[in-house]
Amino acid sequence: MAKKQLIIVGNGMAGGRLLDELLQRQALDQYEITVFGEERTGCYNRIMLSKVLGGACESTITLKTTQWYEEQGIRLIAGKKVTEFQTEAHQIVTESGEIYPYDQLVIATGSYAFIPPIPGTYLEDRSLKPGVFAFRTLEDCARMRAASEEGRHAVVIGGGLLGLEAAKGLADLGLDTTLLHIADGLMERQLDTPAGTQLARTIEALGIKVIMPAMTQQVLGDDRVTGIQLKDGPEIPCDLLVVACGVRPRVEVAKASGLPVNRAILVDDQLAVQETPDVFAVGECCEHRGVCYGIVSPIWEQVRVLAEVLTGTDPEAIFEGIKVYTRLKVAGVEVASMGLVHPEVDEDEVVQIAEARRGIYRKMIIREDRLVGAQFVGNADAAASILQYLERGDLLPTNRIDLLCSDEARGMGTNADREICNCNRVNESTIKQSIASGCDSIAAIGNRTAAGTGCGSCQGELARLLQAAGKARRPEPAPAV
Amino acid sequence: MSSLDHDKTAVAELATRTHCPYCAFQCGMVMTHGGETSPLPDIQPDPGFPVNRGQMCIKGFSAGAMLNSDERITQPMIRGKTGVWQKIAWEDALDFCAEQLQSIRKSTGPDSVAVFGSGALTNEKAYLLGKFARVALQTPHIDYNGRYCMASAAGAQNRAFGVDRGLPFPVSDIAQAKTIILWGANSADTLPPIMQWFQQQQENGGRLIVVDPRVSATAQMAQLHLPLVPGSDLALANGLLYLAIEEDLLDWDFIAQRTEGFEALQGRISQYHPALVEKLTGISLRQLRKTVHWLAQSESTMVLSGRGVEQQSKGVDNVQAMINLTLALGKMGKPFSGYGCLTGQGNGQGGREHGQKADQLPGYRLIEDEEDRQAVAKIWGVDPESLPRKGKSAVELIDHLGPEGIRGLLVMGSNLAVASPNLNKVEARLESLDFLVVCDAFFNETSDKGHLFLPTYQWAEEEGTMTNLEGRVILRRQTQLPPDGPRSDLWILAELGKRLGFEEAFYFDSTEAVFDELGQATSGARADYHGITYEKIDQADGVFWPCPNVEHPGTPRMFLEKFAFPNGRARFVPVEHRPPAECPSQEFPLWLTTGRYREHYNSGAQTRMVPRLEQAQPEPRIQIHPRLARSLSITDESWVMAESPRGQGVFRAWLSSDVRHDTVFVPFHWGGMQAVNRLTIPALDPTSRMPEFKVCAVRITPLSEAIAQQWINRTEGEN
Repeated sequence: MAKKQLIIVGNGMAGGRLLDELLQRQALDQYEITVFGEERTGCYNRIMLSKVLGGACESTITLKTTQWYEEQGIRLIAGKKVTEFQTEAHQIVTESGEIYPYDQLVIATGSYAFIPPIPGTYLEDRSLKPGVFAFRTLEDCARMRAASEEGRHAVVIGGGLLGLEAAKGLADLGLDTTLLHIADGLMERQLDTPAGTQLARTIEALGIKVIMPAMTQQVLGDDRVTGIQLKDGPEIPCDLLVVACGVRPRVEVAKASGLPVNRAILVDDQLAVQETPDVFAVGECCEHRGVCYGIVSPIWEQVRVLAEVLTGTDPEAIFEGIKVYTRLKVAGVEVASMGLVHPEVDEDEVVQIAEARRGIYRKMIIREDRLVGAQFVGNADAAASILQYLERGDLLPTNRIDLLCSDEARGMGTNADREICNCNRVNESTIKQSIASGCDSIAAIGNRTAAGTGCGSCQGELARLLQAAGKARRPEPAPAV
Repeated sequence: MSSLDHDKTAVAELATRTHCPYCAFQCGMVMTHGGETSPLPDIQPDPGFPVNRGQMCIKGFSAGAMLNSDERITQPMIRGKTGVWQKIAWEDALDFCAEQLQSIRKSTGPDSVAVFGSGALTNEKAYLLGKFARVALQTPHIDYNGRYCMASAAGAQNRAFGVDRGLPFPVSDIAQAKTIILWGANSADTLPPIMQWFQQQQENGGRLIVVDPRVSATAQMAQLHLPLVPGSDLALANGLLYLAIEEDLLDWDFIAQRTEGFEALQGRISQYHPALVEKLTGISLRQLRKTVHWLAQSESTMVLSGRGVEQQSKGVDNVQAMINLTLALGKMGKPFSGYGCLTGQGNGQGGREHGQKADQLPGYRLIEDEEDRQAVAKIWGVDPESLPRKGKSAVELIDHLGPEGIRGLLVMGSNLAVASPNLNKVEARLESLDFLVVCDAFFNETSDKGHLFLPTYQWAEEEGTMTNLEGRVILRRQTQLPPDGPRSDLWILAELGKRLGFEEAFYFDSTEAVFDELGQATSGARADYHGITYEKIDQADGVFWPCPNVEHPGTPRMFLEKFAFPNGRARFVPVEHRPPAECPSQEFPLWLTTGRYREHYNSGAQTRMVPRLEQAQPEPRIQIHPRLARSLSITDESWVMAESPRGQGVFRAWLSSDVRHDTVFVPFHWGGMQAVNRLTIPALDPTSRMPEFKVCAVRITPLSEAIAQQWINRTEGEN
């Protein structure tokens, strides 16, 4: 039987991951797979772009080399744009007019960097003014790095995840860096204002100047950028301007092809594009139950579900949405955010701990004894375990603060009085007491507490307790038999 | 008749130094007899044996109790028409057994009989049982309970190193390691005498990290404990490697010189961002970093796995991820370093090497490899073509029991009706057999479903070699006269072989003669025993395989120069996290994980009969976090019904903050309604066919004392 044609448009992280999931399910037994990628490389890990900015070699973030596709028997058509989805005819059209028929089509076009309409950003020919960069692709990174000479001035517009990473990367390269942010606090999509302010203070302490709220009125310079003009504020000279104002789903082709698009391509719980048979969308270019995801873990879940559906390994698989967890570490500043950022209803309770001098802020939002959101700046040690409460919806402890404790104090293994001698059921506390009251050998402890007089397997432990109490130089050997 | 019948041995010929009947540590022990007046031998740890060095656990000390137990079965028993066991003479029992097996083979083919072995059997028994299945029964279907125990670590080690030996170094090396991570292993309860080596390591200033959803007795000893979400081990290992790459902690020289495949791994690892790893594991980034720093920056590092990581539907990949980490940090094949697996069953190591596995022939030879088939067929004096091909693994074998599949089953030394996952189904399958014969010293939950019972010697009543968790081949000696009646497993196989028309192939005049043939059959194979003799074992406190010839001293430390592939390089294999086969849901909101008590061993078939152990731990208790218990109105010591989509169990509650609030723990040593394997899931690892004992979803509800007792008694009545 002839194999069905599966076309994947987009070779970013979602597309790459989808290939892995498909191969794990032996998809090549039923499909011939063709992947269209706009960039000329294989698939790489976009989340780690700041590594490349910092000087790491491209290969450290490469997920799939072009050779990989060949080895697997997957056709990769790199560097060619797809310009139309003809869903009635079950085919796609490329910029050069070639037509590729499909049985199943997956759109994984991801997103592009959003450049806000600030006057002066572009030259007359609609190209970005030299010195102005987006922070989205390997090529952006390479160009930015080439322009980053030590001692130059850089301005980053946008204090979200990407902007912070870019600012940190540039500062590390020795540039004098200023971060502009439009809201009252950094990362306002993940953090409330106190948390975002706290983060800004910490970032400033690291040598990055933060100005917020800051509205950029104009990009200055004739044939290349020389600075920016703030609305109601000063002019800031710069040699590099990085625009990190978030991303927008890449849906122009989908839209033009008549697919249902709101903010992004509308999909159902099986990632099938609404009202369009045999077409699916995953990743940043799709909108599921009103949400567009921009981080890895929900998208992984999406591609897993899609692979199950496409291969038929679990035709009933569905994606039901996922609670978002954001984790960031910029220059040693730990940031974590999950679930709601702000309380939503009157009944929502907030537990907040702010330690301004130590740069630590922690907050939980609680609804009906269950966690619905949390944020951490400066110390996110408790985030990983608290996240489990959010995910599972477990009842919180009566004393909510318990959750924010360090690992040791969080309730597991708290000073458990463990049983040392199983034969005679003697606990550690009893043995310690006996040592404190004068027992200075295993034999003496045995006489007092009976510990170690059964099978003898705990004698090594007794020796350790003696040693810890300074009562024995070396553990005694087990008695000869 | 062979002389593998020890009834006539004189007391004066009995040895005193031997080894414990239980776990893979195989403590050296000294047995002395109290004389006429005391029926029980006195058992003390052997201070001269270099593995346990004079230590032993409560199970070893009390091991003598089984030898004189009133429960001992000393005569063959057959189940009469009324369902009641009746005595039958040996000759008649063996004739009946052979006839039954033969008639099933004749009517529905050799594939409709099967053999189920055990990691408790000596090397000689494991070897002969494999030969019996392939030569006398000519069935492909032989597997053993080691499938529930060692198969995942074995699968990963074979894939990464080209050979699988539990530990690539002697246990004494543990004391010298600067950092050790014990992953899914609660050695303080499962291998108590090994703890002396960890204690010494601590006294030498070494660091210990324990990965376990519970604060186990072992975790309490550690400097760092990672209480991860059950089933998230692979994400943890990959996440640690991610951080090692990020912080440039890799050993590039080692990767370049001694390994292959790192490039393909690196890209995959770059997807294990801490945000994802924290979410999957529940372990904080700070702890992750601390862990990877300790592992990478220590002069010597050991990475040791236990059943916690291995008994999962991705057990092989879990271990592979640990090996990838170990290799990338350059901590393999160097002094006091390396990945190792802490084998569980007494002869879990030897048991898996000599042909009890559905896909293997002696010496780790592969049953589907033509050269391997020829080598073994030559020793066995049969046509290679006559050897069956690969058969069904343990869980699949059990699944196929019944009128349409495997109709006759011989079980030797295994209590699969407690040790297997999803017991309700296992019981039904056993009940559907036309013929079930069990060879054991005591009745157990499996023989409850049997038609014929052949009583065997116990450990101290005959000799034989075992291979401990280090790969050290040791000799258990006869220290005790057997009672009148039972026979050796080897003798039983010889007698059945004779009746099936293979007298010569199963005739041996001593146990050592079986070992000699085993040595020949493994000559040149990966687990090469050819140069090992009883005499050499005696002289050197055991011999480590591989040992290809008599002059060879054995191999205590492996991989110092090369790995067991033709090009000598270890292999990285990219592996990906995937969720357990069953995750908590609204209906079954909690994780269930299973494990052991210090006082009991595996299915409890032996230890539940020892009064001292039974008094110390008379019943399984379900460990519940106090906060979870409070929300469900469960109090300490009260009764709890635990339910999974497959079955129910009744347990007394043990409130303890040493377990995650989303996880409950139950030990698996009991049968009846207290068998936690009624709840566990038979999801299998795709490579090792290991069932997922360590993770499934359950709900718990409080029960009144009266109802709980009704549940427990009802099932006992049925038995």
